[in-house]
Amino acid sequence: MPGVTLSRWTMSYFAAALIFLLIAELLMVAGYGYPATAIAAPETLILVHVTAIGWLSLLLCGALYQFVPVLIAHPIHSQTLPLPALAFLIAGLGALIAGFLQLAGFIAPHALCFPVAGFLLSIGFALVLWNLGKTLWAARPLTLPARFVTVGLLSIAATVLIGVIFTLVLGGLTEHGHFINLLQSGVPVHAVAGLVGWLTFIAMGVSYRLLAMFMLAPELDGPTTRSALYLGAAALGVAILGGVPASMAGIGPTIPLLMGFAIGLLALGFYARDILYLYRTRRRRKIELNSRMAAIAVGNLAAAIVLLIALLISDNVDRYIGAVVFLFAFGWLSGLGLAKLYKITAFLTWLECYGPALGKGPTPRVQDLVTEPRAIKWFWLYFATVWCGTIFLIAEIPLGFRITSAIMLIATIAIINELLRARRLLDVKAEIRMPKGASSAHLLYAQVKKA
Amino acid sequence: MSPEPAEDTIAQIKTALRFVIDPELGYNIVDLGLVYDVTVEPDGIAHVDMTTTTRGCPATNYLREGAEEAAGSVQGIASVDVNLTYEPPWTPHMMSPEAKEHFGIVDDDP
Repeated sequence: MPGVTLSRWTMSYFAAALIFLLIAELLMVAGYGYPATAIAAPETLILVHVTAIGWLSLLLCGALYQFVPVLIAHPIHSQTLPLPALAFLIAGLGALIAGFLQLAGFIAPHALCFPVAGFLLSIGFALVLWNLGKTLWAARPLTLPARFVTVGLLSIAATVLIGVIFTLVLGGLTEHGHFINLLQSGVPVHAVAGLVGWLTFIAMGVSYRLLAMFMLAPELDGPTTRSALYLGAAALGVAILGGVPASMAGIGPTIPLLMGFAIGLLALGFYARDILYLYRTRRRRKIELNSRMAAIAVGNLAAAIVLLIALLISDNVDRYIGAVVFLFAFGWLSGLGLAKLYKITAFLTWLECYGPALGKGPTPRVQDLVTEPRAIKWFWLYFATVWCGTIFLIAEIPLGFRITSAIMLIATIAIINELLRARRLLDVKAEIRMPKGASSAHLLYAQVKKA
Repeated sequence: MSPEPAEDTIAQIKTALRFVIDPELGYNIVDLGLVYDVTVEPDGIAHVDMTTTTRGCPATNYLREGAEEAAGSVQGIASVDVNLTYEPPWTPHMMSPEAKEHFGIVDDDP
């Protein structure tokens, strides 16, 4: 069986992602974008895309380069492509931000920022899709978690496609009526494809495998997991494939989105049932920080859904959708991301440093690279600020939101410091830090051992 | 030939393999039950049948090479052949009583 090895550029993606997370939080502290400006204002769109592309998508891409091979027990197609992909994605995000600054009046309107952004981002994501797609294709038939990833990859393709059409309209390269209609009413479809189809659906699929691995719980592939996959895929299909033509035709995407939401609720119900089952039947009674914090993140997903339902019933979606998106992006996706980063960083660092020392003498454990009692306080602080921030958004107290964002920034910096300490082996006792055969890891990339 | 010298060597190999830990669980591969079988031929060739906790684990090659290194360090072992297998798949029930106690695993767990 071909061996699965360390992903060379995953750490580079993680580092870039964390920098963008800090930028996003700094923008919130500075009162840049929502709630200080309207939800559709260019300033808010900068904040949203720094979070969605810069932080969450780069984090997910970096994680997928390492974990798609684990999900399918098959090596990655290319260890080289991730680096140019990263360069295109960052450059594309930079151009996109410049485009929004144009809309806000900070940059001269004649520059072709939006079309350039569309071009660079579509090349970047195409490289990611090609690499992961080729990897998955070679390992058919796919396991259930890998099928979640496949649906997520199709969703990012849809997200980028819609986004490119937006950039062409905003850049003045097309005045086609259907495309203008799509820009005017298709933004929610673009957001659902990205935040739910790409980020959430893959997080769901990967969490099945990671939680089972890290908690010694049974691998699930029964009817409930299949129902979550197929209903989730159907929900996304209805929302995106129904929402795009409805928007282009000028009808608006509300009906396909609501239908997709209803089907998606069933999928989430099955997912929740599965996750509870994994936690209940875990063999590892004392679970680590990453699994405990992942449970909080899943709870935030549930809370965001309940909040959205309440807003739908009370007809207040337009007024408070920002609070739902904030709880979804920072409570669920970012919370899960930071929790899993804490584990993955230590795990990958251990493999790189101590893997070659195995069998030559005693080696530290992965758990020796981290100090959970110190780190967990920062995670609780992070989640507390997310909850307070959500409340301040609902209560429409922008200053309160900025203050909690500042505390969230402090918690995030502290968590990043914990990640750096793990990468630098600073928490490993000096007497066992460098056993025979061990080596230290580079901060931004991994030395890849040939399989 | 008396079987005792081989048994003794196998015991020494298992002791050496305890230096190899599963990085995720932080426990040695022998007590985790990841080493399915160890045999030694009269000419000093050792055969280690082992598995990993999960298929596709990125630590697989390190574990295999670590087992090879550890078993090869035993006196009288000329070479080591490590066979990675997923039949039967590993379950936590394969752990030693000490390892089960360490992880809080009860034998009548489902």
